[in-house]
Amino acid sequence: MISSVLEKIHNADFFKELSNEALEAVAAKTTLRRFSADEVLMRKGDPADSFYLILEGHLKIVTTDARGDEIIINKVGPGETIGELALVDERPRSAGAVALENVEALEMTKDAFFSLLDQRLDVSLGILRGFSHRLRFSTTYIEKVIDWSQKTAEGDYSFLEHTQPITNRPGTDDDKAAQLLSTFYTMVRKVKAREEGLKQQVEKLAFEIDQERRKKEFEEITSTEFYARLKDQAQTIRRKRQGS
Amino acid sequence: MSDGKIVSIHSFRGGTGKSNTTANLAAQVALAGKRVGVVDTDIQSPGIHVLFGLDEQKMGKTLNDFLHGTASIREVGLPVGENPGEGQGRAQLKGRDIFLFPSSIKGGEISKILKEGIDFNLLNEGLQTAISEFDLDYLFIDTHPGLNEETLLSIATSDVLIVILRPDNQDLQGTAVTVDIARSLDVPNLLLLVNKALPKHDPAAIKAEIESTFDAPVTSVLPLSFDMAENASRDLFSLCYPDHEWSKALKNVVPFILNAK
Repeated sequence: MISSVLEKIHNADFFKELSNEALEAVAAKTTLRRFSADEVLMRKGDPADSFYLILEGHLKIVTTDARGDEIIINKVGPGETIGELALVDERPRSAGAVALENVEALEMTKDAFFSLLDQRLDVSLGILRGFSHRLRFSTTYIEKVIDWSQKTAEGDYSFLEHTQPITNRPGTDDDKAAQLLSTFYTMVRKVKAREEGLKQQVEKLAFEIDQERRKKEFEEITSTEFYARLKDQAQTIRRKRQGS
Repeated sequence: MSDGKIVSIHSFRGGTGKSNTTANLAAQVALAGKRVGVVDTDIQSPGIHVLFGLDEQKMGKTLNDFLHGTASIREVGLPVGENPGEGQGRAQLKGRDIFLFPSSIKGGEISKILKEGIDFNLLNEGLQTAISEFDLDYLFIDTHPGLNEETLLSIATSDVLIVILRPDNQDLQGTAVTVDIARSLDVPNLLLLVNKALPKHDPAAIKAEIESTFDAPVTSVLPLSFDMAENASRDLFSLCYPDHEWSKALKNVVPFILNAK
């Protein structure tokens, strides 16, 4: 198997923890498949009998809404795997996959996959390691989201200041937890901005003068003898100064 | 009588930045080449002398001495331009015609004058004398907050009254009464100055709102500034940091004063 293909297998999250030698063993169990645009790789509800590692081209991951119309839930490309989770948990396909252009992918059947796991402890361990790594990574992010949720509930937005927003590569599906964190961050920032906008509106509208009180206080001051004298003096002073 | 103008700076409540604004405005007008006096009529709680770097230990004759008949106005007026002190901002006043008429900071003298009351004719005469003897173009009066008798006198004799307020309801309410009083006393130039506007406030919206509430021009909307608060009592902020947002907004007020008829 040529080294660029091995590298692509190695780059897939699913096989990230495998040694070169184990990768060769995986590659040996795969078949190179070619699909043209609009060709269906898997349908929603089908039994999961194989998974694919994409080498070239892009696919859409689709499901259907209540009316039976197609909804694209994701787009995947080279280096990504599709259908591997269904192989492990042995459930029917949760979504379909359709080629958007010419696609080259390595297919590994369920039988080949299971026999590989049976024969090679290092491959099994490597895949398990990959899973646990992803899980640990996701847990950290989820903990962060819990922390932010609590702070946001208390109206404490200070974390926005000392957190770098996470930017996700568009179209990648490699880390849903990171996407959640990033989306959450953006959401809180927008909520905060909206809240400030409202506060400003409220404060602006709250400019109000109690006219009764204003009149009463004015009368209290101006009804004194002192004030009458002052007003008188002020007029004299002004007249004098204007005349000078 | 000289045609120098009395510019009173007033605020209904304390903490609006009145003394700071007064000192900075007076300094800016002096830098514009005018002969300027600054009187601290906040006899109860004097403070503007600090901004001009006056050493309290070395304070000579004060406004209190004048009101007690033991000093002439000539003796009270301190030429700040002759000895502006070390501060980097104040140093720019070197050679400028700016005179400070401080109030006594001695507790005994403060309570004495508050007990005896101020002779308003005498105070008024003192202000007029300050203008003529020092040949002033502008005499700035830093008043005591609220509407007590000496403040009413300052308002009554003002050619220009600048009312400082913060953009909140309590200040607006008090300012409304001050505005009514100023109109009742025929103050020729009534100007409003908003200080300590929060960053989340839109200055243009505040200006429009307050102008329509009081039917008087808002000369400027000064932002709440922590830089300002930190340096406030040490030196003249707008001279130290001329390009700061607060200083720029303050300088917008100067033409209103210079163009007042």
